[in-house]
Amino acid sequence: MVVKVLALCGLILSSSVFAGHDQLLIERVNAKFSYSWLALDKTIKAHNYKAAYLQRCDFAMNERHYKSDKYRILFFGKYDEMKLMSKKYPEMTPFFPLKITVMEEGTHSLLIATPPIALLPLVKTNKDRMTIFRWNEDMQSILSQVKSQYK
Amino acid sequence: MKSKLILIALFVPLLSFSGGQEIYSENCEKCHGFSQHGSIGLPLYRSTIANHSDGYLKKTIRHGRPGRIMPGFNLSEAQTAKLIRFLRAGVKAPIYTSEPIVGDIDSGKYTYEQYCLRCHGTELQGGEGTGKNFSWQKDREVSPPALSNSGFLAAAEDQMIKRIIMKGIKDTEMMSFEKEFNFTDKMANDLVAYIRSHQKPVSTHHISEIADEPLVFIYESGHDLATTTDRLRDSAAAYNFRVYPSRTLFEGFEEAAKEDQKQVVIRFCNFKNMKNFLKLDPRLGVILPCRATVIEGEDGKVRIYLENYMHAIERFNNEQISSEAKTLIDNMKEMVEEAVW
Repeated sequence: MVVKVLALCGLILSSSVFAGHDQLLIERVNAKFSYSWLALDKTIKAHNYKAAYLQRCDFAMNERHYKSDKYRILFFGKYDEMKLMSKKYPEMTPFFPLKITVMEEGTHSLLIATPPIALLPLVKTNKDRMTIFRWNEDMQSILSQVKSQYK
Repeated sequence: MKSKLILIALFVPLLSFSGGQEIYSENCEKCHGFSQHGSIGLPLYRSTIANHSDGYLKKTIRHGRPGRIMPGFNLSEAQTAKLIRFLRAGVKAPIYTSEPIVGDIDSGKYTYEQYCLRCHGTELQGGEGTGKNFSWQKDREVSPPALSNSGFLAAAEDQMIKRIIMKGIKDTEMMSFEKEFNFTDKMANDLVAYIRSHQKPVSTHHISEIADEPLVFIYESGHDLATTTDRLRDSAAAYNFRVYPSRTLFEGFEEAAKEDQKQVVIRFCNFKNMKNFLKLDPRLGVILPCRATVIEGEDGKVRIYLENYMHAIERFNNEQISSEAKTLIDNMKEMVEEAVW
């Protein structure tokens, strides 16, 4: 119990977690969309998350004079944890599964996500807070690992 | 001896940039691009940086541009200095006096309306959308800056604004008004005074305008799950949303037969709105697709959970999309209210 409380305090005090709750998580990847997408899929799995489905948001944009229509959203998560959370806090369901947006920008890609710590006000126990902090750390780690693969 | 001196001369600038590149990579490249050519953020061309004093750059990094994408960064003095040295890449910093320029505001307003309004907007609010984006069509290559922005006016010296008006900025659409339109010293002074008259205090802390609003709107339905789902789909269509096939909440995570059929996600999209919003901010994907979750709880009651997207949109620091999104979200709330009625 003491260890858990200390771990939670550590996470709260950790600047990397505490900072930026009001900002989007963004990483620029030095690779075209298809490479970034594959790398994201693999990195999510390597972090023991499951990619559930994707949502395309292209709507023939290139025919409407946009420079690219590569715009997808990947939905993923840890099923058991999200299932428990959704039973305990149904108001969290609009945020499940977690998601990362991938868009092409010339020869680069941008990965964009809402930080999971935005969900903290919805949970009531330290255990659940720790789960959300971990999701946040994992999300940051996933984005930065995809970026580092194409440095 | 001579070759050693040449080597030292070659390496000294590299040593002085060390650290700055890492700070840029960690904080800036996601928006300004790997080569500072711009993206969600404006380009940081050397020719642009050459117009800015160290003081201007420091304040810009610290305060950002409230409501115009760029957040403020809490970097140390040393980190800021390294970052600025990296951005300058050896180009000498201009020095401006802090003395205010005196001019006639009314005459400046007239000049502004004649020459500047077309790009910088009637309220000096700048162009639409993000800085410069390679993927999305824009009317201009670079979105004209917001001259009334509190972050800009807190950072900019009057002398800098005047120099840019008179000389323009190389490699951008900002031309030399002295050269192209024979601007006199007085015209530039009046214009600076008019721009400066829009100054407001810049807030050092981000104050959320929606902090008291809930993260999620919850509606209790008087109908059973299937009826509520059908009514919500019909209501979404009536509000000009295209409705996608429904999903269970955790579709894709488990076998279809085991999916919880009492947690249904209704997804919908208004393409016209989406296209307009994407023009204002390509990061819109973090809230797409619009959705509402219909859940039958253990108490047998059916509730609809609708995310309050204003919280997500506030993270964009983009006042253009914030004001437009409010109407859309109000529409969604009405749409759900009709479905549960």
